[in-house]
Amino acid sequence: MKHVITRKEDLNAADYLIDVVAPEVAKRFVPGNFCVLITVPNGERIPMSIQKVEDDKITLYIKRLGKTSRELDNWNVGDALHAVIGPLGTPPPIKKYGNVVFLSDLVCGHAENYAMCKELGKYEMNHITSVQSFPTAADVYPDGELCDTVCDKFILATEDGSRGVKGHYLDVMKEMLEAGEVDQVFAGGGIPPLETLSILTAKYNVPVYTTVRQIMVDATGMCGSCRVFIDGEQKLACIDGPMFDGHKVDWPSAISRLGMFKAKEAEALGCFNHKLNGGK
Amino acid sequence: MAMKKRVPMREQAPEERIKNFDSVPLGYSKEEAIEEAARCIQCKNPTCESGCPVRMKIKEIIDKIAHEDFKGAFLLSKQDNAVPAMTGRVCPQEEQCEGVCVLGKKGDPINIGKLFAFVADWARESNIVDQPEIKENGKKVAIVGAGPAGITCAVDLRKMGYQVTMFEALHLAGGVLQYGIPAFRLPRDVVDYELAFLEEIGVDIQVNRIVGQNVGFDELREEYDAVYLATGAGAPKFMKIPGEKLKGVYSANEFLIRVNLMKAYQFPDWDTPIICGDKVGVIGCGNVALDAARAAKRLGSKEVYILYRRTKATAPARNEEIHHAVEEGIIFQEMTCPSKMVGDKDGWLTHINLIKTRFQGLDRSGRPKPVNIDDSEFEMELDTLIVALGTTPNRLFLNNAPELDTFDWGGIKTGDNFETNLPGVFAGGDALNGGSTVIAAMGNGRDAAVAIDEYIK
Ligand SMILES: Cc1cc2nc3c(=O)[nH]c(=O)nc-3n(C[C@H](O)[C@H](O)[C@H](O)COP(=O)(O)OP(=O)(O)OC[C@H]3O[C@@H](n4cnc5c(N)ncnc54)[C@H](O)[C@@H]3O)c2cc1C
Ligand SMILES: Cc1cc2nc3c(=O)[nH]c(=O)nc-3n(C[C@H](O)[C@H](O)[C@H](O)COP(=O)(O)OP(=O)(O)OC[C@H]3O[C@@H](n4cnc5c(N)ncnc54)[C@H](O)[C@@H]3O)c2cc1C
Ligand code: SF4
Ligand code: SF4
Ligand code: FES
Repeated sequence: MKHVITRKEDLNAADYLIDVVAPEVAKRFVPGNFCVLITVPNGERIPMSIQKVEDDKITLYIKRLGKTSRELDNWNVGDALHAVIGPLGTPPPIKKYGNVVFLSDLVCGHAENYAMCKELGKYEMNHITSVQSFPTAADVYPDGELCDTVCDKFILATEDGSRGVKGHYLDVMKEMLEAGEVDQVFAGGGIPPLETLSILTAKYNVPVYTTVRQIMVDATGMCGSCRVFIDGEQKLACIDGPMFDGHKVDWPSAISRLGMFKAKEAEALGCFNHKLNGGK
Repeated sequence: MAMKKRVPMREQAPEERIKNFDSVPLGYSKEEAIEEAARCIQCKNPTCESGCPVRMKIKEIIDKIAHEDFKGAFLLSKQDNAVPAMTGRVCPQEEQCEGVCVLGKKGDPINIGKLFAFVADWARESNIVDQPEIKENGKKVAIVGAGPAGITCAVDLRKMGYQVTMFEALHLAGGVLQYGIPAFRLPRDVVDYELAFLEEIGVDIQVNRIVGQNVGFDELREEYDAVYLATGAGAPKFMKIPGEKLKGVYSANEFLIRVNLMKAYQFPDWDTPIICGDKVGVIGCGNVALDAARAAKRLGSKEVYILYRRTKATAPARNEEIHHAVEEGIIFQEMTCPSKMVGDKDGWLTHINLIKTRFQGLDRSGRPKPVNIDDSEFEMELDTLIVALGTTPNRLFLNNAPELDTFDWGGIKTGDNFETNLPGVFAGGDALNGGSTVIAAMGNGRDAAVAIDEYIK
């Protein structure tokens, strides 16, 4: 199987997208699933959300972060990944909820936002609000890559107010909860805001599904690296999640565990940059 | 006449080998193998063979080795065992073939495992390949999981003429042989070579194919004449004591998958990292615990402790493993039971609390039962803790196959012929038994192949 890149574009200074051929993933993808990439044979298994599926291709939004995401950024259309594996994970129930809101503030969340809104919108009784927040106007994704086309109401927010509503999605959410009429919240993206969101929605008794991103190794339920604690019970983000009832998640341990390999990741990036610079 | 002693196995010296992941045993030379094989008294009733779950023709193979017919020995061993170089290295021979060798009554049993590994290695180096004649029968079988059970079933069915497709969830085939057992016990060139045999005889191995996830179980049942489930027992067990959320705490499976499958010991040339501190504790004393402890030593840990609530004499690990671990300076903290893991404000493990135990009566399996001693709790500083308490059946597949009958603990239920409650669907290996051994899983795979053949005919 050749997992060829068929499109690669910048989303902003930090994020880019790729379309990659992955027929098996494309055939069975349900929003709430993710996939795993292996760029090169000696590479890591990297989990990625899927923004959309078209024929035998999937679209991924990727943040330039560490070694793998930067290495892939140097590749071009026509290059092929070693493996694209999936779909993985157990999606939350996709059904009629009523007034649904999806919130996101980071690449992975934006991809899920798009996929999930589109799917939930297939139920006529759902009214879908999509909220996407970015730090500043310069970070906002280009037209065509936002969720405005897949929802009933779209709210763009920037933290400095340079475009759209001023504030983070949390500020938008607070107002919507005050106003009432929210039946179900979904959210993905940065982990610390998800904790705040969970506390906030609990106050208003509104249910919330959150993507609990954890470090994954096999992503098939065999290592326990991605363990999260839901109501005190251990679950595996890769096969039971990654979306869980935010009110039940042990957020402090999830936030802490996500940082376990920081020092090693810096080392890997250092080595990669060193090689890029011809070993100088 | 005094009985001859076993021809000793040359090994890397402990102080050297803890710096690398190369094989500990260096293997017999031709002369050594012949000498060891010549010790076999060729029993009229070779009890050794009754100890081998796949009934290898041990007596005859050893006779061929003794007469320098290595090729003959190799081809004969391949008749019953697709992967003799691997089993020769990892079987718990002391409980199986060697455990019932008559020479063991008075002296050293024949070193059957190492002799078979020698023969298979020799064949590889001499480019001797087993080329079974295959008469296609036009029928198709799907195998789920490419561990020892799946491999054996695949090879046997292929030899009977079936078209066999093997689906493996990970990016490399082999199951535990690939992701669990470290290279210093089972070198990866041996694994690769013996797996290549499957493709040579025409087994179609599809990696990254997760049945229930990107391959439909129902599709397999429709498309193939039979399905064999060999998904293993790879889900880690934790202790459910406080502190398992801490950074620095791994399941043995995570630790070993990072090291073996993902080659974290070659980080950063390989991308997957591992963090292994100076002071490492491993809870448990089975093969898995010792593999993790010895891997930690090789990753540069200064002190590695096995924390075990019994004694190493009553531990389930193979003798050879315990012996090697002791030589390598692994410290056995026997008769202690962890009670909680404690961390600092950043969420990193700092120490573990342990309670001393003593034996009192017997447990359900008939072994002495450890009980906690009151007021004996003490602290032990640790940077890294590896929980090696065994595994349970993989859930990923089972979650997607609710129609399949299973036990509460996750094991797949089958009848005597390994058929599940779903017609044409058979199961075996650790998915059925919980954790057992490579060769027991292979024995299962072999019996299932016969049952599947009967079912399809
Ligand atoms: C379910 C899920 C969905 C995700 N979706 C996306 C997405 O759509 N777009 C995107 O850019 N990123 C996504 N991620 C995160 C992505 O996996 C990491 O950004 C990637 O692994 C970084 O690799 P790196 O080598 O570039 O950086 P590294 O330097 O290795 O890591 C940078 C950071 O990424 C995270 N990370 C590293 N390794 C892993 C790992 N094996 N598993 C999970 N997280 C890891 C850690 O927070 C780490 O600090 C997702 C993660 C999960 C679990
Ligand atoms: C660290 C360790 C050390 C060990 N040491 C020894 C030893 O020295 N000697 C010994 O005899 N035994 C040892 N064992 C036990 C032995 O390895 C196992 O009993 C044996 O491997 C079981 O074989 P299996 O084929 O049933 O399963 P496995 O080897 O577990 O293989 C199952 C395979 O199925 C795949 N799979 C699971 N779900 C799916 C799915 N849905 N779709 C596709 N594929 C799937 C898995 O990825 C895996 O590759 C050890 C085990 C471990 C973990
Ligand atoms: S397969 Fe294992 S038990 Fe059988 S003869 Fe070989 S080493 Fe002994
Ligand atoms: S029991 Fe021992 S001595 Fe007898 S045939 Fe088997 S290996 Fe040889
Ligand atoms: S990533 Fe290994 S169990 Fe989830």
